[in-house]
Amino acid sequence: MSDVLDLETLDGPGRAALERLILTLADSKRLMGIRYSDWLLGAPSIETGISASSMAQDEWGHARLLYSMLKDLDRDPEAYEHDRASEAYASVSVLDDEMPDWAAVVAAMTLADGALSTVLSSFAEGTFETARSRVPKMLAEEEFHSSLGAAWYRRLAQAEGEARKLLTAATRSMLPALLAWVGADDEAARLMVRAGVIAPAAERLLAYRHAVRDLTALVDVDVDAVEPDPAWDPARGRAPGRPSEESVERARGDRNRALFVE
Amino acid sequence: MREIVYDVFARKGRGDQLVHIGYVDAFDDETAKVYAWKTYDEENWFEMCVVERDAIIPVTNGEGHFAQLKRARDE
Repeated sequence: MSDVLDLETLDGPGRAALERLILTLADSKRLMGIRYSDWLLGAPSIETGISASSMAQDEWGHARLLYSMLKDLDRDPEAYEHDRASEAYASVSVLDDEMPDWAAVVAAMTLADGALSTVLSSFAEGTFETARSRVPKMLAEEEFHSSLGAAWYRRLAQAEGEARKLLTAATRSMLPALLAWVGADDEAARLMVRAGVIAPAAERLLAYRHAVRDLTALVDVDVDAVEPDPAWDPARGRAPGRPSEESVERARGDRNRALFVE
Repeated sequence: MREIVYDVFARKGRGDQLVHIGYVDAFDDETAKVYAWKTYDEENWFEMCVVERDAIIPVTNGEGHFAQLKRARDE
């Protein structure tokens, strides 16, 4: 285990880089939860819908824990959770819009949730003490998401016709942006690597490709041959664009603003 | 898609009885485990397991739940 990071030693750009890392993870968790919640009643079976509901709750719990890490940087998590415009969200771009079909949900469950777990694993093994203590429980809960996603991915990949086509299309569509996000290697990401907060980009990409390689091969997608999407917004640590307004209204809790209890 | 019925058994504490708490429809053992854990999450179970209903062999020939299910299956 590496040494613990003394936050007092981080300069302005270092603190901004850590804030960006926490936010991209927290916002992605929140949006992942929304994407699961979209399918509570439209999933292929009651059991799958209940699992989607439970996973949505997991993701929102993880998001809450991640936002609260901003306190270590003297930031108010409540403002980040409830007062930002959609263009400020740092969530990974594949979660910006509602999934068009169950195959896309399965691809997101496997590839996007898997990307989050890859970066979180790196975060948990790094020098940021709060991540070391809080992230392992998230990763333990994520094992169920991974297991369900892989089972559904295999099932759809082995199906005839439309299901396999949709899964293949969703896989091809999501991977470039996810590889760019996992393998972020701009100045802010390198600052975090130098501080020991996360592993180098090449290691993160290696871990991610290893995690998804066998599954994507089932739909004839070689993850080692997929290039990361070059489109990048360094201010937020994600691709350009933003989550749909409706999603962000739900993430912020706009309809219940008067009833917030913190 | 073929679904398999799995019965779910759990115990709350180490010394408690293992009891039948419900069932899930799943397409393999992995999905059955996830569905069971996510569906029957009202307790912090010490132990939970699933078993394919077809693998349960009723010992009595009475009106018990599993004996009735087996008879219905065999008819």
